[in-house]
Amino acid sequence: MSFDLAEAGDNGLTVTISGELDITNVDALQEAVGSALEHHPRRLIIELSGLRFADSSAIALWVRWSTAAHEIELRHVSPILRRVIDTMGLGDTLNVKP
Amino acid sequence: MTDSDPVSGAGAGRARATEGEDETTNTSAAAHGGRWPYWLPVGVLFAGLVITGVLVWISASTYSNNEQRLLKLRARDAGALIAERLPVIQTPLASAAALADATDGDVTKFMRFIAPYMSDRKGTFASASLWRLGANQTGPLAVVGTPLVLASSPSRAEAFFAREARRSELGVIGLLGGQQPRLGYAFTSPGLTGRYVAYAESTIPASRRSRFQSTSSFTDLNYALYLGGSQRTEDLLVSDLKNLPLKGQTVSIPIPFGSNSFTFVVNARHPLVGAFPERLPWIIAIVGVLLSVGAALLTLRLVQRRAHAEELAHSLERAAEENRKLYSEQRTIAQTLQHALLPEALPKIDGVETGARYETGVEGVDIGGDWYDLIALDDRRLLLVVGDVSGRGVRAAATMASLRYAIRAYAAQNDPPAIILTKLSKLVNVGATGQLATILCALVDVEAHELTVTSAGHLPPLLISDGKGTFITGAVGVPIGVSTGATYTSTTVSTPRAATLLAFTDGLVERRGESIDTGLERLQHAATANHCALDDLLSRLLEELRHDGDDDTAIAGLRWLD
Repeated sequence: MSFDLAEAGDNGLTVTISGELDITNVDALQEAVGSALEHHPRRLIIELSGLRFADSSAIALWVRWSTAAHEIELRHVSPILRRVIDTMGLGDTLNVKP
Repeated sequence: MTDSDPVSGAGAGRARATEGEDETTNTSAAAHGGRWPYWLPVGVLFAGLVITGVLVWISASTYSNNEQRLLKLRARDAGALIAERLPVIQTPLASAAALADATDGDVTKFMRFIAPYMSDRKGTFASASLWRLGANQTGPLAVVGTPLVLASSPSRAEAFFAREARRSELGVIGLLGGQQPRLGYAFTSPGLTGRYVAYAESTIPASRRSRFQSTSSFTDLNYALYLGGSQRTEDLLVSDLKNLPLKGQTVSIPIPFGSNSFTFVVNARHPLVGAFPERLPWIIAIVGVLLSVGAALLTLRLVQRRAHAEELAHSLERAAEENRKLYSEQRTIAQTLQHALLPEALPKIDGVETGARYETGVEGVDIGGDWYDLIALDDRRLLLVVGDVSGRGVRAAATMASLRYAIRAYAAQNDPPAIILTKLSKLVNVGATGQLATILCALVDVEAHELTVTSAGHLPPLLISDGKGTFITGAVGVPIGVSTGATYTSTTVSTPRAATLLAFTDGLVERRGESIDTGLERLQHAATANHCALDDLLSRLLEELRHDGDDDTAIAGLRWLD
C-alpha cells in the first residue's frame, strides 16, 4: 500500500491510495492521514484508481474519515469494491463515484 | 569441574546451559562445545612448531654438510701447499749428504754447497751441519749459520741419528726448545764410503703465530699446524690464532712429511657457502615460530567466534522456542476468550433445529470481531443474530461483547429487530473508535413460519427450501457505528416447510480479487448440493468454502423440522 496526500483548493484534501489496503496496514494509514483530518476539511476526495484490494477494515477507515470531513467522495472505485460497499449499505455515506 | 577444566569459558558455558534449560542433551552439547575449541589452536601451534623444527633441521644440516664439504676442499688445497715444502727442505739436504758421501766428508765442499740455502741468504735453514755416523762422534764435522740447538743436547742427537741411520728419507725431529723454537731435519746418505748425515734446523716464530699472506687465497681460513698426529698444544708449530684449539666447524687433515707428519686443522672465518645459507635456519626458525603462533591465534579466534556463534544460535533457538510457546499460549488464550464470548449452548425450541460454528483465522493471535447468537424469546420465537465488528484484537472483541449483550437486553424487552439495531447504533461511533459493525438480526416465528430480517450493512441470509437457495435481500441500513441517528427497517418473509436459514459473516464468501456475488453464488450452490443434517451442513460449508483462512468466520443456521 502506498498513499499520497494533496491539498485541493477551497479547504479540500485528496488522498490517493494504491496497492492493497487491509487490516494489516489501515492503522498505519490512519496514523499518517489522521492529523490532516483533524481540522475537518470541507471536502475529502479519496482517489482509488490504483487500489487493487480493500477489506472491510479499509471501508471502516473511510467511514471514519467521512465523519471528520463535511463532504466525502470515493473516486474510481472498482466494481468489486463498489459491490461490497453497496452490500454494507454505505454507498450514500461514502458517496461512491465510479 | 573447576579444577580439571583448563579453560574457564568451558565451565561458564556449562553453568549457563544447565541453569537455562532443563534438557540434558543441551547441557552436554554446550560442555562439549566449550572444551574442544582450545585443543585446535594448541594442535595448530604444535604442528607448526614441529614443521618449523624439521625445516630448520633440514636447512641447518644442508648448510653444515655443504660447509664441511667446502672446508675439506679448502683444507686439502692449503695442505697441498705445505706438502710442497718437503722437496724444498729434502733436496738440499739429500744433495749435501750425497756430496759428503762422494767426497768422503769434505767439509769445505759441504759448506760451499749448503751456503745458498741458509736463511741469512734468503734460504730455508737457520743452521746446517754435517755429521758422520758411527765413529764415536760427539759433534758435527761442520756447522754453517747459527749454532745448532741440537748440539746442546747430545743424548737427544745421538738417539735421533741412531734412528735416522736406518732411513733413506727426510727425518724430522720434534720441536727443539729454547728462545727461538726450531724444527730439525736430517738426511742420511746411502753410505758408499761411510754414513754421513746432513742436518739442518729452521726457526719457528716464538709466538708460533703467523698469518697467511694477505694476497693468499686462504685468508678466509683460520688454521693450526701441529707436528705429529695429535692436536696437543706442545706440538703446535704455527697458527694464525692465539686461542686454540680451533672452535666451531673444523676440518683436520694429515700431511705426511718425511719420517714424520703434520696435522693441519682449519676452520672458516666466514661461512664458505655464503651468509644467507648460514642464516637460513634462523630465518626459517623465526618465521616458522611467528607463523605458527599467528596461525594458532587465528585458529583460536575462529574457534572462539564459532563457539560464540553456536552459543548465540542456541540462545536464539531457545528464544524462538519461547516465542513459539508464548505465541501458541496467546493464541490459545485468544481462542478461549473468543469462544467464551459465544453462546455456551444453543436454545432448544420445538419445531426447529439450530446450529452454529465459529472458526478463528489461522494467522495471528488477535481475537476477531465475528460472532453469532441465538436467543429464545419465548417457546415459539427466537432471535438469530450474526455480526462482524471491523478490525481485530481486544477492542474489537470488547465491542463485539457489548453489542452482543446489548442485543440480548433489547431482545429481552421484546424489541423487534429494527428497533434493536436503531438502539444499537447509538452505542458505537466510528468517528471516536474507528470501529463499525455489520449485524444481521432475524426474528424467527417458528409456528407461523415467518422471518423478520433487519440488516445493518450485513451480508444477506440464505433461505434454502426444496433444493433452492434464495438470499433475503431486503432494505439494508448502514453498519452500526456509522451514524448515531441511523434508522433501520425490516423485511418479513414467509418460509416454506422444512426451510433452512443460514446467516454468516464475510469470511465464508469473500475472496481477494473476486466479486462478493461470486462468493455468494458458491455458497448458494454448496448449500443446496448438500442434503444432510444441519450440523453436518455447517461443517461441510466451512470446510468447502473457507479459502484464505486468515479471516474469522461465524455461521448460524436454523431448520424447520416440519
